[in-house]
Amino acid sequence: MPRPTSFGKDTGLQVRMTMTMFLLGLVYAALIGIVVASGYMALLIVVGGLLALQFFASDKLALHAMGAREVSPQEAPQLHAMIERLCVQADLPKPRVAIADTPMPNAFAIGRSPKSATVCATTGIMELLSPAELEGVMAHELTHVQNRDVMVMTIAGFFAAIASYIVQFGFFFGGGSDDEDGPGFFAVVLVSMAVYVVSFLLLQALSRYREFAADRGAAIITGRPSALASALMRISGTMERIPQRDLRASQELAAFYIFPPHAKQSLMGLFSTHPPIEKRIAALSRLEAQLQGAA
Amino acid sequence: MGLFDILTGKRRLARPAPDRLFAMTTANVAFETELGLRSRGLAGIVFQPLATSDFEQIVRDMVEVVQGISADAETQVESRDDEYGYRWIVLRDPDFDDLVVGINAVSGALEAGGYGERILCAVFAFEDRAGRPLYWIYNYKRGAFYPFVPAPGAQQRDNEAELRLKAQVGAELPIEAELERWFPLWGIPI
Repeated sequence: MPRPTSFGKDTGLQVRMTMTMFLLGLVYAALIGIVVASGYMALLIVVGGLLALQFFASDKLALHAMGAREVSPQEAPQLHAMIERLCVQADLPKPRVAIADTPMPNAFAIGRSPKSATVCATTGIMELLSPAELEGVMAHELTHVQNRDVMVMTIAGFFAAIASYIVQFGFFFGGGSDDEDGPGFFAVVLVSMAVYVVSFLLLQALSRYREFAADRGAAIITGRPSALASALMRISGTMERIPQRDLRASQELAAFYIFPPHAKQSLMGLFSTHPPIEKRIAALSRLEAQLQGAA
Repeated sequence: MGLFDILTGKRRLARPAPDRLFAMTTANVAFETELGLRSRGLAGIVFQPLATSDFEQIVRDMVEVVQGISADAETQVESRDDEYGYRWIVLRDPDFDDLVVGINAVSGALEAGGYGERILCAVFAFEDRAGRPLYWIYNYKRGAFYPFVPAPGAQQRDNEAELRLKAQVGAELPIEAELERWFPLWGIPI
């Protein structure tokens, strides 16, 4: 029996993702090292506490910022039933389901853990896509939930945020007495700045890799890579035509969209949270070939 | 899913859990004698049909196999697609044990073909003393059963009756412990 055993395997992607996270760890270790050596531990703890607070309050804020509203199974029976079946297939508890009333075709998932997750679709995407395509998109979001991408990206971005705070503090309270041992405040600010720039690029790369992983996960859950590819094509087609009104969502949110709201094809690939659409479609067609046993 | 899987975003579909389907055969005795539940002689299994060249052939072979093993028993087999793009194999047989055997034959054939992880669940149709329909759903990935009692109205379910059934059945069946995984199946064709 031609069983596609290799279906969904992508060792290269795994290696790149692990490498990126390793580099992030290195950069962060340098940051912690210099902050500790300079004796500004208190600063680290205060800023860390603030960020943790933000992390725990972010779910509600994000939903609100998107104008999304949680819907009951009676209000959106088709969407609920579709997600329920995908959850059985993916062996996930059912997340909350929300709908945002905007013509912009998009979908996103938030929540720290699978149990507290919410997946959201816009009315635009539900009108635009066929059921099979929408299923692919929702499976993509459920894979984000399953991979705990919100958690991973928040933790990965944690020290980058701390570095950016330190840089901002540095501009306000710059200088000070440098009589003690260890590196002075100026050195801390300089290192933080470098850490911020490098980790920003690494974080964007990590986000792109996780998008590829979510596409692949969606293809595995639905068994229909081509449906997701067609959904991406259709979304990207309309994304350029519809004016970007009513989207003032913060940049952090952008990582969890099915499609980034600020994307311009000409934007430098290095700075974007999502891989270019052609690359995602190419990856999906490789999956389809694997599934069909041709690769 | 381990920490490393989370970090690298690795995805594999869960394989079917160890098979506890046949617990239904013994539980059915208790259903009839103690709870007054009667099988409606219908059972179904639902899975994702894949658009690969060998998948259709496997399904065709499987239907033949099920019809073959039930030549002496009078199991009727039919296949239909639902509005969500999933395929149902519906078995009809007055003898409950034959239904369970038939369902097991279908899942066995899909697994042998390498598509075991595409199976969603098996559904057994019952009715209570008042003739109201209720279903026992077997989730292959979890290896556990849960009751599903549709209530009148659009996509309403009778949670009270379901929880009562869970308490009444007790240890007869392996019941899904997490209530948030008692997924409803709307539009069950049986």
